[in-house]
Amino acid sequence: MPQHIKRLVSAFAVVIILFLVMQQVLTPASFGKLGHYRADAIPENEMKTLHYAGSAVCTNCHEEMQTDKALGFHAQLQCEACHGPGLKHALYADKFKDKELPDSLKLHKPDQRKDCALCHEINAARIKIVFDTINNTMIHQVNTLKHNPVNKRTNEKVICIDCHNPHQP
Amino acid sequence: MTQTRSKVTRRNFFKAGSIIVGGIAVASALTPFDGVLFATERPKGKGEWYGIGIDINKCIGCGKCANACKLENNVPKDPFYFRSWVEQYTIKNDGTILVESPNGGIDGFKQSVPDADIFKSFFVPKMCNHCAKSPCVQVCPVGATFETPEGIVLVDENYCIGCRYCVQACPYGCRFINPEKGTAEKCTLCIHRLEKGKNPACFEMCPTEARIYGDLNDPDSKINYFLKNHTCMVIKPNLNTGSKLFYNALSPEVR
Repeated sequence: MPQHIKRLVSAFAVVIILFLVMQQVLTPASFGKLGHYRADAIPENEMKTLHYAGSAVCTNCHEEMQTDKALGFHAQLQCEACHGPGLKHALYADKFKDKELPDSLKLHKPDQRKDCALCHEINAARIKIVFDTINNTMIHQVNTLKHNPVNKRTNEKVICIDCHNPHQP
Repeated sequence: MTQTRSKVTRRNFFKAGSIIVGGIAVASALTPFDGVLFATERPKGKGEWYGIGIDINKCIGCGKCANACKLENNVPKDPFYFRSWVEQYTIKNDGTILVESPNGGIDGFKQSVPDADIFKSFFVPKMCNHCAKSPCVQVCPVGATFETPEGIVLVDENYCIGCRYCVQACPYGCRFINPEKGTAEKCTLCIHRLEKGKNPACFEMCPTEARIYGDLNDPDSKINYFLKNHTCMVIKPNLNTGSKLFYNALSPEVR
């Protein structure tokens, strides 16, 4: 074999060996176990913290709300849909039974007109039948700007829950 | 100047050419493109393989799903980072299509077109389609995005180099770059909730049960019931992405 070919071959061999060594060192352990990705990424994704508890947890303490709600049109509405994520509240609120809850554990109280308007504001795309477990009803729609914005006697601003019970509308 | 003639004779050229063209024609005739929904095609492995069903007839556009997704997954609050969002399509009488999604629907929708001008209007909730032949998975240069054996397309945050290729590749616009981490982010079908036996946040919070999910491999699952009882369609079926997000009552205007 000519000298220059020998040099080339040895140079290539060094590069290839270096590549193989680097590949061994740099490739994560679980890469390629299940496919062209790091299999450990699945448990890493599963480790993320939860924020929503699910309504089954709410009824452990707030059973009376559940029974109230079951009679109304909001029966299949999840508690956390309006009150916000409540896993922290569910886990730690028990410790403050007689004391005031700290703000971080308090849940959202949706008492503004815009909160009800999310579902009930009049909209052409919203005229549809919602298959309610109790009745097949149309979703109730109101024009929140025109529907009794002020109390006619006292001239004060009125919010929806002054007249409507949100748990049993 | 001398012209070098190719050694391939004209006869051989046509022979080889016709064999290749004929071969392709025969192959495509044997396995033609079919418009059958991907759900009918089972994966090779066994076990759970998730699919999603969204009923447009039931969606009231409250945006609770988009809101729940942001809160559950710590998605940046800015109005252009969404893993799940709702769009309002309004088809006007003059034939123009208006698509609106103010803050992804989280703050509610305001009807911007008077009733008299509307031919038809509806809400379309959108999220990752968890495609079985994902374009985003195929383009990733480092293998940082992948489909789990359960059929969920995930991002490996620690391996992603933030090259934005997948953001470009997703035909449904379901990915973004997290401004803090600099890595790609997308819907995980709340795999952290599924693993603990809870429903993903957007499914849990939907007040009208407009969205459901289930195991496509299980013939008695919710999603198979949904597919059998509704006329379902995926968005952009022509792209053959193997989308596993099936819409009932999907209008062809949606894209």
